[in-house]
Amino acid sequence: MKGVNLEVAVGAVRLANPVMAASGTFGFGPEYADLVNLSRLGGIAAKGVSPDPWPGNPPPRVWETESGLLNSIGLQNPGVEVFCREDLPFLAAAGTRVVVNVIGHTVDEYCRVVERLEAESAVDAIELNISCPNIKEGGLTFGQDPIHAAEVTAAVRAITRRPLWVKLSPNVAEPERIAEAVATAGADAVTAINTVLGMAIDLKRRRPALGGLSGGLSGPAIKPIALRVVYQVAQAVDIPIVGIGGIRTAEDVAEFLMAGASAVMVGTATFADPTTMERIIDDLPECLERLGVTTPIELIGQALPGRL
Amino acid sequence: MIRPLIIKATIHSITAVATGHFEVRLDSRELAAAIPGQFVHVRTPGTLRRPISFSRLDRAQGRVGILWQVVGAGTRWLSEQPAGSQLDVLGPLGHGFPAPQADRPWCLVGGGVGIPPVFAALEAWQDVVQAPITAVLGARREDLLTMGDDFRDRIDDVRITTDDGSRGGRGTVLGPLAHWRAQNPNGQVYACGPTAMLAQVAQVCQGVEHVYLALEQRMGCGMGACLACVVLAQGKHGPEWRRVCHDGPVFAAEELIW
Ligand SMILES: Cc1cc2nc3c(=O)[nH]c(=O)nc-3n(C[C@H](O)[C@H](O)[C@H](O)COP(=O)(O)OP(=O)(O)OC[C@H]3O[C@@H](n4cnc5c(N)ncnc54)[C@H](O)[C@@H]3O)c2cc1C
Ligand SMILES: Cc1cc2nc3c(=O)[nH]c(=O)nc-3n(C[C@H](O)[C@H](O)[C@H](O)COP(=O)(O)O)c2cc1C
Ligand code: FES
Repeated sequence: MKGVNLEVAVGAVRLANPVMAASGTFGFGPEYADLVNLSRLGGIAAKGVSPDPWPGNPPPRVWETESGLLNSIGLQNPGVEVFCREDLPFLAAAGTRVVVNVIGHTVDEYCRVVERLEAESAVDAIELNISCPNIKEGGLTFGQDPIHAAEVTAAVRAITRRPLWVKLSPNVAEPERIAEAVATAGADAVTAINTVLGMAIDLKRRRPALGGLSGGLSGPAIKPIALRVVYQVAQAVDIPIVGIGGIRTAEDVAEFLMAGASAVMVGTATFADPTTMERIIDDLPECLERLGVTTPIELIGQALPGRL
Repeated sequence: MIRPLIIKATIHSITAVATGHFEVRLDSRELAAAIPGQFVHVRTPGTLRRPISFSRLDRAQGRVGILWQVVGAGTRWLSEQPAGSQLDVLGPLGHGFPAPQADRPWCLVGGGVGIPPVFAALEAWQDVVQAPITAVLGARREDLLTMGDDFRDRIDDVRITTDDGSRGGRGTVLGPLAHWRAQNPNGQVYACGPTAMLAQVAQVCQGVEHVYLALEQRMGCGMGACLACVVLAQGKHGPEWRRVCHDGPVFAAEELIW
């Protein structure tokens, strides 16, 4: 099974294999370096970075749920300047693709981060996390409205020629409308999905369990939601899709490819088993063989209407 | 400090040590080189691992102990694993206690399942400390107290409290601790227990130079990557979050903001 070509491409970004680490679950790279051979990964999406440091939410910041995990980290990060100085050099030397997840409270804040990243050659792709509250719009997230999603995408597009991925929120009635809007505004790819809004109640304290009150659900519980979004977005836009949500096995990856994704990301599964991504990469050749294909590319979109 | 590993460690023995409390001895040379106050992240069914501190570190035998109270599905599952089976543990993780100073009276304070890590500290450094050593152990009831005999086997001055007075003094560890502190102004204190207890330990020990507290917080990764497990600390430029899994679990009391 060795020697199987697992290469895929997300637009202009070529990956050694379809498996990347999801933003926010893999730090800035060094945290897992003792346990994971980073150079084997298709890529690493760094934790979201903002123009200035963000403090994040009060604890508790995570709460386990049935087949899932709620988090309200609140996008704590040291800001783009510290990121570029202290964290990016490690990622640049990790021997894998570097995706920088970008966050902001206003269009201008997203632009400031992307402008600063222009000076860095190590960035292979920019991933806009549009699930941030837009403070000019009363805290509604950018990703909730096609107009604002397009506005931030177009503004960033105007200042960078780097591959630009936009990460979709599932917390909207029609994610495919947001995907269309960002594709028209110049996105090179979309990532789907970010976490699903949820809440837990702490019986003992008789209060919402998370310090941030509500939080984002991830893990196996959201895989069906993510597959549905990928499948729908794949029919609405021509740009590539990075699938994400609850992936734990090579079979999960195959399902996302069939639904229309060109590559995937793994988040929460790394917490229980830090070797998940490497295990998936090891298992993929056999999984592809069982499915009667020789490369992951052949699976992309196989489940879509008209392809059956 | 040894780097974290994922280890399939064989359960040498599993013992019920108090009502709803179990201690496992795991065979692992790698883990036995850990520092008291460090912990392992143990795989159980479910989305996340479970953090549990070392109760003993036996380098000669290549064996470690972890001791837990059954509070939910994960710890219940752990208590059902038979001797001879394997646990998937990630560790050793975090920063443990510093070695104590030889010439300062040493007080070890443990509340509930905070007792095991301070026992590991006693076991590791008893011979280092030339001054008197005192342990203050607290539990809600007599049948929930763990490791009392382990402490007694090693030191004479073991003070026990229970909330209901069923064993030792009635009340919490704070009474005996305040008493000890008054008599030992140049002492050093190592404590672990519920967060509310540790906040009060910090209060009682204000002005004592060497107070180290092992904290708990809800965790995701345990590896410093997800920023879930934070506590508020005094940074260079004002308050900042520190990660219990990576910057802790042991913090100097003066670092923390309650
Ligand atoms: C650094 C550290 C060391 C610890 N050492 C010990 C020890 O030596 N002995 C011991 O009995 N307990 C210890 N704990 C607490 C122990 O981790 C929890 O009791 C255990 O995770 C509960 O799991 P559960 O599935 O049985 O309970 P549930 O309540 O069903 O767990 C649900 C989720 O909440 C988390 N959780 C629940 N209680 C706690 C808690 N107090 N702290 C952190 N996370 C929690 C669980 O890990 C899990 O993710 C320690 C905690 C930390 C952070
Ligand atoms: C603790 C945690 C932190 C996260 N932080 C970010 C982030 O900074 N930016 C982002 O775009 N997504 C973030 N996410 C979302 C993940 O990247 C991913 O979209 C989601 O968890 C679903 O994938 P999973 O089920 O494999 O975890 C975070 C998720 C978790 C669990
Ligand atoms: S648990 Fe992830 S940073 Fe501490």
